[in-house]
Amino acid sequence: MSVPGPSQWLVLIVFVPLLAAVAAVLWPGRGAGRWLTVLTGLLTGGGLLSLSARLLDAGEPVTHALGGWPTPLGIALYADGLSLAMLWLTWVVMSAASWHADAYNPAHGIDEALFRPLWLACWCALNAVFVSGDLFNVYVVLEISTLAAVPLVAIAGGRAALTAALRYLLFALLGALVYLLGVALVYGRHGRLDMHGLEITPEPAMLLAAGLVTAGLMAKAALVPMHVWLPPAHSRAPAPVSAILSALVVKAAVYLLLRLWTWTWPELINGAAWVLGGLGAVAMIHGSVLALLQVRLKRVVAYSTVAQLGYLLLVFPLASLLAWQGVVMHAVSHGLAKAGFFLAAGNIMHLLGHDRLQGMRGISGGPLALTMFALALSAVSLMGLPPSGGFLAKWLLLQAALEAGAWGWAALLLIAGLLAAAYLFRVLAILLARDTPDPLAAPGSDRHVPTAMAWSALTLALGSAVLAFAGEPLLRLFSIGSPDIMTGSTGP
Amino acid sequence: MTPPVLYALCAAAIFGIAVYGLLSRPHLVRRLLALNMMGVAVFLLLVAFARRDPEVTDPVPHAMVLTGIVIAVSATAFGLALVRRLYRDTGRTGLSESRDP
Amino acid sequence: MTEAFSWVFDGLLVIALVIVAARVVFTPVLFKAIVMFIVFGLLMAIAWGRLDAPHVALAEAAIGAGITGALLLAAYSDLVSVRRRRPHLRPRVRVLRRHAFFAASAALAFAALALVLLQVPAPESGAGTLAVANLDATGVAEGVTAVLLDFRAYDTLLEMAVLLLAVYGARAVLVTDSEPRPDPWPTEGRHGSMVAALVGVLAPLIVVTAGYLLWVGAYGPGGAFQAGAVLAALGVLLRLTGRLEPAAASSWPQRLVLVAGLIVFSLVGLATLFAGGTFLDYPEAWAYPLVLLIEIALTVSIALPLILLFSGSPGLATPAPEDRR
Repeated sequence: MSVPGPSQWLVLIVFVPLLAAVAAVLWPGRGAGRWLTVLTGLLTGGGLLSLSARLLDAGEPVTHALGGWPTPLGIALYADGLSLAMLWLTWVVMSAASWHADAYNPAHGIDEALFRPLWLACWCALNAVFVSGDLFNVYVVLEISTLAAVPLVAIAGGRAALTAALRYLLFALLGALVYLLGVALVYGRHGRLDMHGLEITPEPAMLLAAGLVTAGLMAKAALVPMHVWLPPAHSRAPAPVSAILSALVVKAAVYLLLRLWTWTWPELINGAAWVLGGLGAVAMIHGSVLALLQVRLKRVVAYSTVAQLGYLLLVFPLASLLAWQGVVMHAVSHGLAKAGFFLAAGNIMHLLGHDRLQGMRGISGGPLALTMFALALSAVSLMGLPPSGGFLAKWLLLQAALEAGAWGWAALLLIAGLLAAAYLFRVLAILLARDTPDPLAAPGSDRHVPTAMAWSALTLALGSAVLAFAGEPLLRLFSIGSPDIMTGSTGP
Repeated sequence: MTPPVLYALCAAAIFGIAVYGLLSRPHLVRRLLALNMMGVAVFLLLVAFARRDPEVTDPVPHAMVLTGIVIAVSATAFGLALVRRLYRDTGRTGLSESRDP
Repeated sequence: MTEAFSWVFDGLLVIALVIVAARVVFTPVLFKAIVMFIVFGLLMAIAWGRLDAPHVALAEAAIGAGITGALLLAAYSDLVSVRRRRPHLRPRVRVLRRHAFFAASAALAFAALALVLLQVPAPESGAGTLAVANLDATGVAEGVTAVLLDFRAYDTLLEMAVLLLAVYGARAVLVTDSEPRPDPWPTEGRHGSMVAALVGVLAPLIVVTAGYLLWVGAYGPGGAFQAGAVLAALGVLLRLTGRLEPAAASSWPQRLVLVAGLIVFSLVGLATLFAGGTFLDYPEAWAYPLVLLIEIALTVSIALPLILLFSGSPGLATPAPEDRR
């Protein structure tokens, strides 16, 4: 019997949530589910501390050869700075959203016995994606995340949620098969599946394989033009589910795009960098404009996700350490802010029973004060105003664009930032309006937002603000093991 | 031409037919059928790869396909449950093209 | 079999596969499409056999054609009233043409690529050659079983989670239904029929077959997947003949069976992790017994979810004695 070291924790952060999900199947009560979630948070948190300490100490990725079989025969788990960034984001968002769900689920009739196993399995799948080093294993864990996330969208029932869930499922399954086709081609040509040992050279067959894998992941990540399923699914899901879908689940697929194009087939990037960056640009503009036109709060936030995911693809044309850091910081800060925003939107819906912006004029006082603070803080980060992680991320990206003399990308960043400010100020202006009496402030009204729901949203929003101050040390951790094609270019 | 090549071409044809089915058939059960056939086409390609060397058959793609078959039946079963529920609640078996309100 | 005969056989099989696949898509009647899909699965099983993939053939016949077919027919019985709605073909002609173009280009691209790749010689060394070379170190003599339960055991373990999630996902969308719905497989009037009697005779044989498939997996075609699928088929038969009834809740033992595969597999993995530092690195002397233990647990945890998904109920029960008319 030995104490688990960082390499063992790499396995345990997948199996703790998995076994917690299994335990939630055996003990379906609310109390058990809550304790299992807390235990999962504590144990995986400890594991992440151990992994981070090792990473900072040794300055190189942690790996674990499962079954004792070296790649390419076995499957290797692998964690570097990028993995840690996503793992920590998952930890914070899942913990806060679980806290929110503790109060939200009973109030909205969500069956604990069904919710908890799906929720914990989703946590397991996210951790598993971020430490996976194998192309086929990624297919399996992405299917876990799909089959956990889609039922969570539909769990509260309702015609709109069911339709949204089905559309989500069809896109996700199609994406998985297209991905698998690409992986099959890679295996046929090279006979191996490990992301870090494959040496893929530019040839037509492998370009097609990379294209298929990318298309499949884009469908899962809701990147333009495969985004149509996202706004209904993310806006119709229960609030804690919306939060983890937008902050984490779609990002798992984007994470894989970053990982594969920079580690597994960096040789293929040349032409593709502009295509990917271009799609990102279209997403940024298209998503923002549509967010501006929505009449329902959660749909504004969902379209905002479509737009904000586009930023992550800018790393390919910019290709520098600054851009890399900017994108990692953007992934993390957007995750926190977007999850906080969705939870806050859920709190508003909890009191009003709807999320039509029209009926939300001037509801910012009274029982929604804390929620409104969380919403405003999240909005600041999403717009990229200081002080926030969002500002830091956009500043890094802008700097990267200016240093590379890429004026076009710099202009795009500014335009997208202005559009984000426009759709978010529009929402805030409605909520904070003082021209009508607050419909919720009527005397005698005892409606309130449960503490857990208000504070979980605020925690995430504060987290995205604090990133502005913790940026420096975090970026040091997150940059460990950065890909050569990023560090080889300009940058500090 | 060798048998694996023949079956790979067959996989290509099935894949194309399934893509057509997915795009042209609005009925959700038919879409799930098409997705299943796409999956089988990919599996067939993998197994054809495994058979290229006439001496040894590569067991890794076979294992991948077995895993894939179980995942496919899981996803199909869940998808069908969702379709049945949608039908019971709304009487529809397809996704309307109109936008979510 | 002579060379020429085997070419003719392969050629006919491929043509049949393509025709049946086209029938699945083009037939205007949903029921026919489902039946054609089952035929497609059975033909596919023959194709797997021709490609020296007997494991896959068994799994495809049992799961791909059998269980998936049963699930589709179960769904069809729910949706049967929409058959009469025919799509309006005329306004869609242009759209269809575009789709046909997409499909044709997809198929062409795929075909060209498959051709190119299959001409490329198999890589000198890779996971496959290593798997064959390291077979002796695994405790089983069958390559596919070694890959599933040793070299790439992590995938197999996680895939059990996918199956579990399908059950919970299906429950999440079906159970929140406010009105009780009629049992899609009413057992009225089926007792005493020939089928029920036949199932009674077959049941022990099927269990023995599953046990054999499980046992033989270490040496030849077979294993937990195939055994689990055969057991699931038995469950479907018992459900259809009324020897198993839907239950509104899953009992504790049933939930345990549902997750037995995940528990045993994970605990073996964690034991090796804490003992030797590496997940699922079986000690040499223990490799075979551990693999067998895991396979037994996997078998029941593959069978039960599939039966539950077919039954469309959270749990199963045997009918009370007084119900047995």
